[in-house]
Amino acid sequence: METLGFLMDGFGVALAPHNLMFALIGAFLGTLIGALPGLGPANGVAILIPLAFTLGLAPETAMIMLTSVYAGAMYGGRISSILLNIPGDEPAMMTCLDGYPMAQQGKASEALAISAVASFIGSLIATIGLILLAPLLADFALTFGPAEYFALFLLAFATLGGITGKNPMKTVVAAAIGLMIATVGIDNTGVQRYTFGTLELYEGVDFIIAIVGLFAISELLFFIEDKAGGGKEKMAVNKLTLKWADIRNILPSSLRGGVLGFIAGVLPGAGASLGSFIGYTLEKKVVGKKGYFGQGDPRGVAGPEAGNNGASSGALVPMLTLGVPGSGTTAVLLALLISLNITPGPLMFTQNADIVWGVIAALLIGNFLLLILNIPLVGIFVKLLSVPPMYLLPVVTMIAFVGIYSISNTTFDLYFMVAFGVAGYIFRKLEIPLVPIILGLLLGPEMEKNLRHAMDIADGDWTILWDSGLAIGLWVFAGMGLILPYIVGPILRRRMRVATGTGGPEGD
Amino acid sequence: MVSNDRIFGILMIVLAVAYGWGTTQFNEPFGGAEAVGPETFPRLLAVVLALSSLYMIVRPDPDNAWPWSRTGIELIVAVVVLILYAALLQPLGFIISTTLAVGTLCWRMGARPVKAYVTGAISGVAVYLLFSFALDLALPLGLLSFMEVG
Repeated sequence: METLGFLMDGFGVALAPHNLMFALIGAFLGTLIGALPGLGPANGVAILIPLAFTLGLAPETAMIMLTSVYAGAMYGGRISSILLNIPGDEPAMMTCLDGYPMAQQGKASEALAISAVASFIGSLIATIGLILLAPLLADFALTFGPAEYFALFLLAFATLGGITGKNPMKTVVAAAIGLMIATVGIDNTGVQRYTFGTLELYEGVDFIIAIVGLFAISELLFFIEDKAGGGKEKMAVNKLTLKWADIRNILPSSLRGGVLGFIAGVLPGAGASLGSFIGYTLEKKVVGKKGYFGQGDPRGVAGPEAGNNGASSGALVPMLTLGVPGSGTTAVLLALLISLNITPGPLMFTQNADIVWGVIAALLIGNFLLLILNIPLVGIFVKLLSVPPMYLLPVVTMIAFVGIYSISNTTFDLYFMVAFGVAGYIFRKLEIPLVPIILGLLLGPEMEKNLRHAMDIADGDWTILWDSGLAIGLWVFAGMGLILPYIVGPILRRRMRVATGTGGPEGD
Repeated sequence: MVSNDRIFGILMIVLAVAYGWGTTQFNEPFGGAEAVGPETFPRLLAVVLALSSLYMIVRPDPDNAWPWSRTGIELIVAVVVLILYAALLQPLGFIISTTLAVGTLCWRMGARPVKAYVTGAISGVAVYLLFSFALDLALPLGLLSFMEVG
């Protein structure tokens, strides 16, 4: 029952008035970020990181705020799925299938309410799962030596594309580029690498600048290219007439979706998109012929929504316990931890227990806040949704500029950010995923450090890297992460495409 | 056409070679060489990048179309606006440069010019006030510095 004590301490942190306030702000901003098309969760969290610094927030407050943003973004993604038939983020894709038809039948607010309840249940299940599983995994991770860590990082890269990923080799290219950028600067033996004598490069490339540039600026360029400035027609929202029976009706679907989503979130290489996809297909199987999926069945909204939110909380498990994120947005949260000078990984549970458990408690509280925010206040978000991207994106870009500028008050960083933005645009055009680049930037120093430790221990013997059973297992899984997409990827992708009736936004 | 991936693959191989060659230029670390020096990890990366880029050349994906013509020019305009924004932020000050940059971007994305620049001005002033009073953080005033209070 040690966990319970920690959790209580965590509640003590999370319920402190200013933390609660920032959790509320974060939840609100997050829902907004998730709802607005073209401002994905990873992007939104990235833009807010510099602001968290300029506010001078305490580490636990900053972390609580951005975790709330993360949780909120998963709630928000469904709003544009239901009202515009555009998923706010990729995992919300499955919510379109029954959500949009419901809105077309004049039941938009029921669809929104049901999905909010389902999101709540999914997140709740997954947060409880996180509370139970994370300490165990952290304990287990304490047995990892440097060689195991090195293999674990490889596993993280290899599975990042997910088994539905298109071209794993491009993930490798992207990871290598990210790791290379991470080597710029003075390494820990004091040797300058790739600095070309430029003073600004001595400390390496600030990954916050890279992240904001890659995500925010490239998004702006994509919107300009698509000429999507005007926005799309949205469905009218009717008055809510939700009965208790409706909620009871979707409870089993939400529970199943939440559990499945959590599992998909924890496992490397699955991720929220697969979580919501499995949630949807399972619902279709379980309900069978009694359902009318694809034509506005509430259970078809609840299942994937619960799955999607379950997966996003589940994805926090590897991030918090191992320091290895499994998705873009958790990678950005990891960036925040690293820049707060907190070493992520199993030791965080002992050394920074207040932060970890504060964040976990904040997730629980945030869930209730989000449910409250999302049922009565959904009208506000719907109004904001009608701000056309042609005004929204320039303003978001400006906020990114301010945030980056405020870190160090130099113009050099801004040029750097624009350069990363242009690079990000080119990468996305070539379908080179951006997340491995960011993960490379984040994990590069740790990866090299572990390689060094392992080799120093073994006196330069490379076989140390696959000397233990655990390390071999990790290598095998990493290999599978690269090979499986070639085998099962096409099949799964085809099924997802058939199910959604579109190509869908692949990767990102 | 499948040339995008090939061209990119070739560029990346060039990068990998240059990056790998760069490892030979490092200074010897203080205290002599160890099993894993500063050059080991980068060399590994160079090999990985070279091999994976080679794969991209051998088995490229189909191309996405590049936006030549007008859209391409719009994109270049946007990038130029961003660079100018960065360059003029300090000399012109935050409010003026933001009005110009956000306004131009809104306009180029399809808003009417007046509405676009009004949006730019409002967002610039709002963020400036928020930063200076609520967050206690000084953004450059530039040309408007005569308005500085206190």
